Amino acid sequence: MSNRFEAFLGLSVELTAFSRFDLLGTGLAERYLATLDKVVGVEITDTLLAAFVALPPAEGEARIKAVRTTILGNELLGDVARALIKLWYSGTWFELPLAWMERFGSRPADTTFVVSPDAYVEGLLWKAIGAHPAGAKAPGFGSWAFPPKIPALPELDSKA
Amino acid sequence: MLFPLESTLKADAKTVAGSGEYDVVIVGSGISGAIIAKQAAEAGKRVLMLEAGTGANITLAGYDDLLTTFYSAVSKDNQSPFPVNANAAMPRSPKLRKLQAGETDSSTYIVQSGPYVSDTTYTRIFGGTTMHWEAKTPRMLRSDFKTRSIFGQGLDWPLSFEEIEDDYRLAEREIGVSANVEDQQYLGQTFPGDYVFPMRGLPLSYLDQQVNKGIEGTSVELCGKTYPLKVRPYPQGRNSIPNPAYDGGKGYRPIGAVDTHQVEEGGRCQGNTNCVPLCPVQARYHSGKTLAKAFAKNAKAGERLVELLAQAVASKVDIDPDNGKVRSLEVKVYKDPASAAHETITVKGKVFVFAAGAIETARLMLASGLRSTSGLVGRNLMDHAYLLNWALMPQICGTMRGTSSTGGIVDLRDGPFRERQAAFAIDIHNDGWGWATGAPTSDLLELVDDRNLHGADLRRGMVDRVSRQLLLAFMLEVMPDESNRITVDPQYTDALGNMRPILSFTVPEYTMKGAAYGRRFARTVFARLGAQDHTHYDPSDFGYVAYEGQGYAIRGGNHLAGTHIMGTTRTNSVVDKNQRSWDHENLYLVGGGSMPTIGTANVTLTLAAMCFRSSRDILKYLH
Ligand SMILES: Cc1cc2nc3c(=O)[nH]c(=O)nc-3n(C[C@H](O)[C@H](O)[C@H](O)COP(=O)(O)OP(=O)(O)OC[C@H]3O[C@@H](n4cnc5c(N)ncnc54)[C@H](O)[C@@H]3O)c2cc1C
Ligand code: SF4
Repeated sequence: MSNRFEAFLGLSVELTAFSRFDLLGTGLAERYLATLDKVVGVEITDTLLAAFVALPPAEGEARIKAVRTTILGNELLGDVARALIKLWYSGTWFELPLAWMERFGSRPADTTFVVSPDAYVEGLLWKAIGAHPAGAKAPGFGSWAFPPKIPALPELDSKA
Repeated sequence: MLFPLESTLKADAKTVAGSGEYDVVIVGSGISGAIIAKQAAEAGKRVLMLEAGTGANITLAGYDDLLTTFYSAVSKDNQSPFPVNANAAMPRSPKLRKLQAGETDSSTYIVQSGPYVSDTTYTRIFGGTTMHWEAKTPRMLRSDFKTRSIFGQGLDWPLSFEEIEDDYRLAEREIGVSANVEDQQYLGQTFPGDYVFPMRGLPLSYLDQQVNKGIEGTSVELCGKTYPLKVRPYPQGRNSIPNPAYDGGKGYRPIGAVDTHQVEEGGRCQGNTNCVPLCPVQARYHSGKTLAKAFAKNAKAGERLVELLAQAVASKVDIDPDNGKVRSLEVKVYKDPASAAHETITVKGKVFVFAAGAIETARLMLASGLRSTSGLVGRNLMDHAYLLNWALMPQICGTMRGTSSTGGIVDLRDGPFRERQAAFAIDIHNDGWGWATGAPTSDLLELVDDRNLHGADLRRGMVDRVSRQLLLAFMLEVMPDESNRITVDPQYTDALGNMRPILSFTVPEYTMKGAAYGRRFARTVFARLGAQDHTHYDPSDFGYVAYEGQGYAIRGGNHLAGTHIMGTTRTNSVVDKNQRSWDHENLYLVGGGSMPTIGTANVTLTLAAMCFRSSRDILKYLH
């Protein structure tokens, strides 16, 4: 795996709280990195990845704070990072806010679109809530009568 | 279930036009048309079925294309699996807007002439709206057939419950209804002797059970009567576990996916939570299953009894001035949904059946200048009015799992209060606030963009926000009113030059009284559950209706009815109790349009039952 892809995966774990294993399991990680490159360009993507790599090795609250100040609260990178979170959770790239386009220039590929049919199916939001994407990965007859199995957040919960 | 291969070969327009007289010409391949086609074919009649939409989804590959279109759609609105086709357009909700007084909006397929703007819809494709429906299949109540005599509201049917009961059973067999008799015996509903439904009831969702825990044993008072509250299962046209006691112990064989090749799926619902807009495995009934049986009749007799001509839009009815009979039908046949190029053919038959849905059947009649002696074609348009109420339960309920809806609160479907206000049936949506707010995507956007959550906080936030969602959809009774109607006007036409439907509708006061009570009722239920009420109705909402100082966003119900109303004479109705036109003896107008009232039952089981009745009358007429 290239360093670039490694950094993208690390950033994605940080932003989504799903493990590398979960993210690679979607089969979409490469496609999502390519989506970033295509929509906002390689330069901004690299800036985002560099900001992630440069994060202090802190844990817990300090780490969250660093992500907020240097990535999510960064004027250039914040909206891009939020679009990446939404992409992982739903399979849809959501067009960047107007204010971002006005400041940094609009990009021709920046429209709201579903990356591919399987991107919808692999959206993490369904997994987060112990459900399944509407219309796919059916859990089986009568499964709905039982309480949901909401996956725990092991490493993070144990630290709290 | 197998479609005989030759049935999917497109009948070609030239052969159809040149092939003389059919016994029965049917417009529309929805459940209404399908039942009549099957009954006629079983009696050895030669049938031509015309379908305005495309027929590609007749094969599994074509059906699966619809699913891929759905997965890829940015907006998962309720027509998202069905490609745009300007030659056979269908209403699509996202473009609607509120009207100013006296304003008309012709920017969407149905011209909205107000004052109420309806997002009601139907699907123009092979299989009709059953490709899209949710498949709740309650029967109407005895009292629903005589609301005029009992409550002084609406109209009485020319048919009683007793007269339609046997046909309800045929419809339940055809659709393959899953329900338990003991769950359906509320409000005086009875089932004779050893009757059981074809399949056992679908289990209530965990969400339903949590709601039931909070309200069971409590009651409400209305007009001096006490109504106990409880979550009851809905009968459903989705495959469940067959009941071995069905049909005097013969049992029932569920029908899953249909295709030209043998496929083994859809025999049982798997909980895809996607019944609307499209069941991925075809565990939910669609009329292709009935048509497969009709087409199978061909093969046995060695000749094609049922021919399907898709991409064929019935455009004008030609009447013989001497006897009022339908002489022929003008049909526009197009090759490509993306182009308006078409040829016009003339089709002849002994009997004509218009099964194009309540709006399109009325549209076709009106576009042909046929208002009928009573002048009632297009009038008395009905559709259930939906009022949505949404809240967050105190505990995790596992929302977003299960079949779209399994249970509801249905004890206020009947009572003496119907003298004053509409009855309602409430269904609990297993997909949470989806219908009201666009959940769970809208929740994701809010949590990420506005609440600035990421990482573990976001994961926990999604659970907290989505898995506790409860939506109570109140389906309110709407009575017939002649001024609620479909009309046509040559200034509004579609790609093929056919006149489009114009909808004028006012939500009746009777219904709004029920809505106002429904809102109070929802608040009472939420209070008993300790649920946080998140309901709000935006005054700029296209369906916003003000009533007695409050405002409500009313949604269309997709349960269209009344536009060719059934009655006792040619002056008070368009069709007789067999759905035969009073004015044109070889013409049957079938489907929801014939219903004089709709009570609080989703209309399809009832309109399917009526089509069995009409089939017998058609066969009698042909002999
Ligand atoms: C989202 C949704 C959910 C629903 N859920 C339920 C439910 O849970 N329970 C319930 O009982 N009902 C439900 N309904 C309603 C139900 O789908 C309809 O009542 C039923 O399918 C109507 O069947 P039909 O055959 O009479 O008409 P349709 O199914 O509308 O069929 C009409 C057919 O005629 C064709 N056609 C139209 N015009 C022409 C023309 N000019 N020439 C040739 N062909 C033409 C159309 O393409 C279509 O195939 C729902 C509907 C929707 C949209
Ligand atoms: S829950 Fe799923 S499998 Fe069951 S009928 Fe609905 S869409 Fe089909």
